[in-house]
Amino acid sequence: MIALLKDVLQTAFRMAPWPTEPGLRTIGNPGRKSPVLLTANYDLTVRRLERALRGLDAWLLVAPAGGINVWCAAAGGHLTTHQVVTVLKTSGIDQLVDHRNLVVPQLAATGVEDLAVFRRARWRVRFGPARAEDIPDYLAAGGKKSDAMRRVTFPLRDRLEVAAAWATPIGILVTVAALLLQPAWTLPLLALSTGLAVTVFTALDRLPGGGRWWIAAAGVLVSLLCVTLSGGGTAAMVACIGAPIGFTALLTFDYAGSTPLEGSGGFDGQDWQITLDAERCIGLYRCWEVCPQACYEKIEGEARVDLAHDERCVRCGACIVQCPRDALYFEDGEGQRIEPETIRRFKLNLLGRRSIQVGDEPEA
Amino acid sequence: MSFLALMRWLEATPERYDSGMQAITLGRVAQLHEAVAREAVPRPGCDVLEIGCGTGAVTERLVRRGAHVTALDQSAQMLEQAKLRLMSAGNAEIDWLEQTASEIDALPRAAFDSVVLSLCLSDMSTSERHYVLSQSRERLRPGGRLIVADEVRLRGATRVLQSLIRAPQWLAGWLLAGSVSHPLKNLRAELEASGFEVRHEQQWLAGTLALFIGEPGK
Repeated sequence: MIALLKDVLQTAFRMAPWPTEPGLRTIGNPGRKSPVLLTANYDLTVRRLERALRGLDAWLLVAPAGGINVWCAAAGGHLTTHQVVTVLKTSGIDQLVDHRNLVVPQLAATGVEDLAVFRRARWRVRFGPARAEDIPDYLAAGGKKSDAMRRVTFPLRDRLEVAAAWATPIGILVTVAALLLQPAWTLPLLALSTGLAVTVFTALDRLPGGGRWWIAAAGVLVSLLCVTLSGGGTAAMVACIGAPIGFTALLTFDYAGSTPLEGSGGFDGQDWQITLDAERCIGLYRCWEVCPQACYEKIEGEARVDLAHDERCVRCGACIVQCPRDALYFEDGEGQRIEPETIRRFKLNLLGRRSIQVGDEPEA
Repeated sequence: MSFLALMRWLEATPERYDSGMQAITLGRVAQLHEAVAREAVPRPGCDVLEIGCGTGAVTERLVRRGAHVTALDQSAQMLEQAKLRLMSAGNAEIDWLEQTASEIDALPRAAFDSVVLSLCLSDMSTSERHYVLSQSRERLRPGGRLIVADEVRLRGATRVLQSLIRAPQWLAGWLLAGSVSHPLKNLRAELEASGFEVRHEQQWLAGTLALFIGEPGK
C-alpha cells in the first residue's frame, strides 16, 4: 500500500530528485559468486529494480547520484566514474565476493568510463541491459545482451508516466492561478492542461510534421472557444491573452531529456551531429554496445562499424565517451568539432546544455 | 542560516562560489576557513591532507601558514579554480589530486600531521563518511589530528525553524543545480564510531555550522 502510494507520488513528481540511502543491498540470498549490479540512488528506480530482480540472488550497489535516475544522472555528471569508484570502495563489496565483475546499466555509459573504473578500483565494468526488466534474462544468458535489450523504446506506459510528470506541476500552477482569478474555471483548465500533456507525449512524434502545427491549430481553437463560451468580460480577456501564450510556449518548448526520442541540445543549442572518423575505428564495437538507439552496425569481417542510422541519434554521447580510439565526436555543419575529452569531462546541466561554451574548451 | 542548498548551485558555477558563500553565510564562512587552517597547521612545515578542497579557500590559508598540502577534489572545474587562486601564493608546495574522497586509501599510511574535511562530509552517504573517516585515521601520524567543519542539524524546537528556513533553499538548490544535501545529524557520534576522540567543538551561525577537532583514539 505504501509502495503503491510512493509509486504514484514519485511518478507525479518525477522531475524532483528522490534520494535513497546509497550503499550495498541484497537481493535474495547472494553468495561469493553472485552477480554484483549497480544503480543510481533514485528511490523509484531502486524499488522497481528490486521488484524486477525478485527471485534472483544478487548484490546491489546503490551509487550516490543525487537522487536522480540513471540516464539523467549519467548525462548530468551525477553518476560518473567517481560515484562508481566511491560505492565500490566504501560498500565493503570487495570482501563479500570472489570476482570483480560489475554490471552497470547501459544508460550510465554516457557518464561512467569502464576503463577508468578498472584503473582506479580494479573492477571490470559490463554494461547490462537498458531496462531493469531484462536483467534476469541477461544474467541467465551469461551476460549476453540481445539487440532488443540495448534499445530504448518509448512505449505507451512510459509516455503516460512522462505526461503525468509534466501534468502534475503544471496542474498545480493552473489550479492556484484559477482559484485566485476565476474559481469556476479550475476544473476545465485542469482537464485541458492534463489532456494537453497526454496528447503531447503520446501523439506529438507520431503526427505528420512533428505535430507542432496541430498544437498551433488547437491553440486557435481553444482561444475561440474561450471567448465564445465566456460571453465577454474579464475571464474572456484573460483567456484570450493566456491561451496564445500557453500554446506558444508549447510550440517552442524544448522537450530534450523528457523523452528518449528528443536529443540533447549539446552545446549552445547548435546542430551538432555525431561523426565517425572511419580511419580511427578498429572495430572494438563499444559504440555499438552502448548506443540506446541502435545507430551503429557492425561490419563483419572488416573490424569496423558503420554509423548506419545517425538520424535516430539523440546525442547522449555514450558512444563518444566509451570509444578508446577517440574515433567519435560531435561536429556541426561548418566543421566545428567538440573533442571526446570535452564530452567526458563536461556534462549536461538541467536544461540539456553543457556547462561550457564552444571556444573555451580546455586543452585535451 | 543554513546554506548548503545554495552551495549546490554555487558548486555548479565555481567562479561565483567564493563570493556567493561569503554572502549567504553573512561572512561567517571566512571565519570558519580561518579556524580550520589555524587548527590544521600547528607549526610551519607540517603535512596536511585536505579532502574536498573545492575552490581552495582553505588550501590558500593552509599554505599561508606554511603547510605542505595534498589537496583532493573530484571536480575538475573546482580544482582549476583552486589552482588559479593558489598561483598567486607563489611556488607553494601543493599536490593536487583529482580523485574521490574514498581514494585516499591509496595514499601512504601515517604520512600526515592533519587531515581536513571542510564542508564536504555532508555531501557523502553514511557508509562513505565512515570509510573516509576511518581511512583518514590511518593517514595520520602519531599525535596527528582531524579537523572537520560542516553544517549540522539542530535539535528540538530549533530544528523546525532550521527546516523552515532551509526548505526554500533546498528547492532553489535543486532547481538551480539539480542536487541537494542534508545537514549532518550526529557528527560527533560518527567521528567516535570511526575511531576518533573529539577534543574540541566550536559553533557558528546559531549552531548550524560546527567545527570538530578529533584525535585518533586508542
